Amino acid sequence: MSTLGTRLVAALGTDVALTQPEDLAVYAFDAYSEDRLPTAAVVPRDAREVGIAVRIARECGEPVVPRGAGTGLCGGAVPRNGGLVVSFARMNRLLELDARNKRARVQPGLINLELSKAIAAQGVFYAPDPASQKISTIGGNVGTNAGGPHCLSYGTTTNHILGLDYVDEAGNVHHTSLDDPGYDLTGVLVGSEGTLGIVTEIDVRLMTLPEAVRVGVAAFADVESASEAVSAIIGAGIVPTALEIMDKLIVDAVEAHFHAGFPLGSGAVLLVEIAGYPDDAESGERTIAQIARECGALSWRAAAGAAEREALWASRKGAAGSLGRIAPNYYIQDATVPRTRLPQALQRVEEIARAHKLPVGNVFHAGDGNLHPLLIFDRRERAQVDAVASAGKAILEACIALGGTISGEHGIGYEKRETLPLVFSPDDLAAMARLRDVFDPKRLFNPEKIFPSGAVCGEVRNPAQTQSQRQTLAAGGAWL
Amino acid sequence: MALAPGLDPAAFALGGKVPLRALAPASIEELAAVVKACNEAGEAVVVFGGGTLQGIGFSPARYDIAISTARLDKVLEYEFRDLTISVECGRSVERLNATLAERGQFVPLDAPSPGLSSVGGLLASGWSGPRRATFGRPRDFVIGSTVVLADGTVAKAGGMVVKNVTGYDMSKLWCGSLGTLAVLARANFKTLPLPETTSVALAALPERTRRRAVEHVAALDVEPSVAIALHGFPEAGGRDGQEGRLFLMFEGSHTLVDRATRDLRSAIGAAGVPETTLLDGTAATSAFARLLDAYGARLGERSLTYRSCGLPGEALSRCDALAHAATRHELHAESLLDILGGDAYVRVSTKLTAEFAAAVERLDASLGTSSPTYTIFNAPEMLRDGLKMWGNEMTSPATQRDIKHRFDPKATFAPGRFAGRANCSEGKRA
Repeated sequence: MSTLGTRLVAALGTDVALTQPEDLAVYAFDAYSEDRLPTAAVVPRDAREVGIAVRIARECGEPVVPRGAGTGLCGGAVPRNGGLVVSFARMNRLLELDARNKRARVQPGLINLELSKAIAAQGVFYAPDPASQKISTIGGNVGTNAGGPHCLSYGTTTNHILGLDYVDEAGNVHHTSLDDPGYDLTGVLVGSEGTLGIVTEIDVRLMTLPEAVRVGVAAFADVESASEAVSAIIGAGIVPTALEIMDKLIVDAVEAHFHAGFPLGSGAVLLVEIAGYPDDAESGERTIAQIARECGALSWRAAAGAAEREALWASRKGAAGSLGRIAPNYYIQDATVPRTRLPQALQRVEEIARAHKLPVGNVFHAGDGNLHPLLIFDRRERAQVDAVASAGKAILEACIALGGTISGEHGIGYEKRETLPLVFSPDDLAAMARLRDVFDPKRLFNPEKIFPSGAVCGEVRNPAQTQSQRQTLAAGGAWL
Repeated sequence: MALAPGLDPAAFALGGKVPLRALAPASIEELAAVVKACNEAGEAVVVFGGGTLQGIGFSPARYDIAISTARLDKVLEYEFRDLTISVECGRSVERLNATLAERGQFVPLDAPSPGLSSVGGLLASGWSGPRRATFGRPRDFVIGSTVVLADGTVAKAGGMVVKNVTGYDMSKLWCGSLGTLAVLARANFKTLPLPETTSVALAALPERTRRRAVEHVAALDVEPSVAIALHGFPEAGGRDGQEGRLFLMFEGSHTLVDRATRDLRSAIGAAGVPETTLLDGTAATSAFARLLDAYGARLGERSLTYRSCGLPGEALSRCDALAHAATRHELHAESLLDILGGDAYVRVSTKLTAEFAAAVERLDASLGTSSPTYTIFNAPEMLRDGLKMWGNEMTSPATQRDIKHRFDPKATFAPGRFAGRANCSEGKRA
């Protein structure tokens, strides 16, 4: 057994510390599907045990990679350099609900949807709702600053985190709170993908459940006209709770699987949710339906009640999964452009896919300008794998050229680290590295994530898909 | 390099220190050059926006150069259909919102004295006003930023898109850093559509109604965008009853605001509050502007304001505990309590300036080392360094100090204002 394994077992016991290859196999990968076995894994019960494990790992010079449910699409939870994986499978409780003050204290391993389910009776909910919410954890959501369809009006994870406990590189536990004086440690830890510290408790902000929720579906001839409608809605000063688009390929797959009643045969559908006070929701729906028609909507259908609404949402959130029917593999990209650039961005995606001879589906958070093109391929065909890698990069470059960026909600992880210099200058990256130097001078927290290989010494490598990235472009359970 | 000669250093004095020079760079490149030169020369710099929130934190331990961002006031990008805007940080909050208002938009920054307050100063101060519970804090609207670091490096983070997890969210670090890490040069915001209508409700609170009124307001079905219980602070307008007064604001559609004000009347009526005055249109918006100004108001050299943050449900007790403590030390206490956000502001004062220092020092010492933490702002310049400006403790002080050191190793930016000067407690060892 490795020194790390031996010491962890001695300190924490075999119930918490895992060292056998058969036990470690499940900690080798996430939804990015590149895998590497860690040297050891721990499944701690509390922050104290996390601290002990981190301290031992540091003393052994081994990296530490935190892990929620492993739904990340960019390899953020893959132990690239071996070392220790810290799983939060046991730290999955709602510790405290304070509905009066609209906050809850949770452990990182708590599943996103479980929280909102557990507190609904009190009239409150937790707003960030990534499509993976049925299995992804709030700790993982904090790591990537996860979004979801409803961040259009509610904001992303970072807008809903009031404070955190984290374990630092020495194994000590710290508490941060937006209420405390000092630099905003909470704000920088959210979205840092486990590279600054290991979050062990989270104070989340809750919101009052809306009195009324309305969902409508409009059919359009193509995604461009659907996106024009999105711009028109937002430009009219209406910010609904969600504005989602699915193109024909996705709608066909989703309908074959879920039968939720999305209109078949059109080029794209726009899913709109308006939540709020009853009169506002009703008039909002009327106005949006009107704008959609003016933008060429072929039809508009309002969901009749809660069951129909939930069915539409369930199929939207299960869109990627339903592609299994038509695609041997797919690669999902995540990029954001200014909302008014969506039609151009979608056009570019289409052109790029065509040039690479790859079928493409689009299902995305249109209101936020957050694209998710799904490139369909067969990973047994080497040429297709190369084409996907090249198309994926071309899409990112196109989005950057339109004033956008390379990740809206999935994170950078391992997958996009070499692409980061397309967005940020060496000076920008050096400023980020200074922050990392504070928290993790030895680069033991989730190394090889976010930052390009040369960034620390100021020598930024020419961004290119690496061989290993090409090899690992394959479908896992993908979430968007 | 044109550096706006003629700025009077005396106008930028802090804590009795007058800087040697006051410079006003006109571009981000000029700003970077000035900062780099100061850093290399070992000169301490304080960055000035409108100066409205310079009363937060300790005064700088060294202070050689004032850098005014007043000339960095341009709108850099505004595509209103994207609901995003990018501005230089010296632009005043009022001018930012005036630009947005032309397109029916706004950013809820809630700055006191918005005509003076600069976007960069407001963000750097970590200010959050009365709409933070409903809309979020100013930091929540920042989608990107460009700063100048102490060595003159220009560094950006985020971008012009509303959803972005590309790289660290450095803007969070700059917001609330009080100009001690970097100079905010450019800020990108996501904006909101202006509400259809705004209505303000004012109600004097008779004896034994305050606690119940606060509870009822917290439980309203239609959430007000502002819900403040005041006592004193005449600058905010309205008339106190024996237990002060309520200031509520509703924003939204006409139907919603009508419903909200109806509900409100019956809710606080049930709490024993007989009368509510409603203001609409410009009367409502100017009443709100007065309330915001009151947050920052001081009474010459004979007042300071304590702020405590925490759970909204405990805000009343926190507020009253501090007000009672002040009264025990012969200080007059006025309070401004954010019912939904949980912030409590207590302004303490004496009638005579000569009596203030001794009284407030006794009060400050009596607050001891237990929680909650009260931070202080708007103290008379000559007193501030002797008071617990940051309260009793700053969490993870070693980390805080290290952040300062990594970004500003020569302590060029407002040395001593923030981290590293307060009494602190370290993280617990696991």
